[in-house]
Amino acid sequence: MIKVRGLKKRFEDKEVLKGIDIDIFDNETIVILGPSGQGKTVMIKSMIRLMEPDAGEIYFDDENIREYNKRELENFRKKIAYVFQNSALFDFLDVRENLALFLRMHKRMQEEEIENKIIEALSFVGLTKDVLDKYPEELSGGMKKRVAIARAMIKEPKYIFYDEPTTGLDKKNAELVSNLIKVLKEKISTTSIIVTHDIELMENVSDRVALLKDGKVFFVGKKEEISDETLEYLYSIGDTYEI
Amino acid sequence: MLDREYFENLGEKGINFFTTIYEIFILFIESLAAIPKIWFYRRQLVEQLYNFSAKTLPIAAIISIFVGLGSTVQGTYQSSGLIPRYVTVNVIFKSTVIELSPVILALVLAGKLGASLAAEIGSMRISEQIEALETMSLDPVGFLVMPRVIAGLVMLPVITIFANFLAIFSSFFVSTAISQWVTAHEFVNGLKMDYKSFEIIFGCIIKPAVYGFFISLIGSYFGLKTKGGAKGVGESSTLAVVVSAIMIVIFDYYLGELLL
Repeated sequence: MIKVRGLKKRFEDKEVLKGIDIDIFDNETIVILGPSGQGKTVMIKSMIRLMEPDAGEIYFDDENIREYNKRELENFRKKIAYVFQNSALFDFLDVRENLALFLRMHKRMQEEEIENKIIEALSFVGLTKDVLDKYPEELSGGMKKRVAIARAMIKEPKYIFYDEPTTGLDKKNAELVSNLIKVLKEKISTTSIIVTHDIELMENVSDRVALLKDGKVFFVGKKEEISDETLEYLYSIGDTYEI
Repeated sequence: MLDREYFENLGEKGINFFTTIYEIFILFIESLAAIPKIWFYRRQLVEQLYNFSAKTLPIAAIISIFVGLGSTVQGTYQSSGLIPRYVTVNVIFKSTVIELSPVILALVLAGKLGASLAAEIGSMRISEQIEALETMSLDPVGFLVMPRVIAGLVMLPVITIFANFLAIFSSFFVSTAISQWVTAHEFVNGLKMDYKSFEIIFGCIIKPAVYGFFISLIGSYFGLKTKGGAKGVGESSTLAVVVSAIMIVIFDYYLGELLL
């Protein structure tokens, strides 16, 4: 379980997060919605200390990760995965090495085992062996995103963070990614935390929804519980959403 | 008239300068702290050792051959008839091995390696690849900086030894075979004259190791500090080259003053 209390983050004169409080339960998929510039990405990056928050506490399984030193933080990150908005595949490595990197560095596995894991992950995201020797620059946006999901999946993480997973994808690829998120959750029993401004994605995958407004979470609950007022808010910022 | 704004800008630039020095020093300490994990990052180290050698040997060869030829032409022009020919050979040999070859090579490699390091790491920074490394429980300093600093420290001396050999050989070739102002015997006598092995170690190992260290550390630092998009990457590359070049000429003076 993840518990966040009073999370604050400021960039120079702009306070982006003004005290985030949220609980995220095990094995749930929570979608954090909010218009652009509301600090969704800053929020999840701060939650795993990719950005250092200015204040607040972050508990993963009752341990405050803000108290972790560098080594403890590295160990903690073995149980999380993060799918970046622009995939962030390592452009100096081919697809095989992108997928193998975590296993090579942290698991004592034979080459054959690593290769099997890579092929399994690739086939899960609907890609074939043909892409193994390709570099990220040779892949389409949708393929990059799928490789990024395979790279996250290969860690068998307890928590997966998705940053705008459908942004920049066409409708077909967005649906594919949306389905992958659902199936992956079932396959490896993971807790998924998704930030997006894609309402369709929220409707497809969420167990619960959190809405961000003015640097604070102003609604957390099931999508069916979203009130008329909240819907009004959603529609009032609808032009910033990709539907 | 100097106004308040002028002094504020001056103060801000001064603070930025000392902050940069401090941050480069901290990056150096972090790289040192990552050395115990060298076995863990061995793949990256081997890759960088290869990159530093394979990417630089051709350019080092061209530069060193022409440094050897140029210094021979200058040496003979300036000392012709003034001193014995073997003494001229000795002056050419020492000035090439101790000063010209390591410094010119380091300045060129600061342009090539320093810029490419800063651009490579800078592109990774702006495309979230460095954060992706962190999410994989990998330390960006251990994964990216430490192997490059070690590769710079180790490979610059190797490249300089190779370059010095080519420079002296090209000097020998032009002196004895093309212009024939000196015999092979006189040339070898000139090389042997007042021979001090420390001078060779100084020019071939100590100086290039220090330069290699600065080129990698400064290139990595500006790469990690990259902000914005392609413009930011360009600025980081330029800064890496300029600062590395300044450090090379400053340390060229102080190393000579301290060690010779």
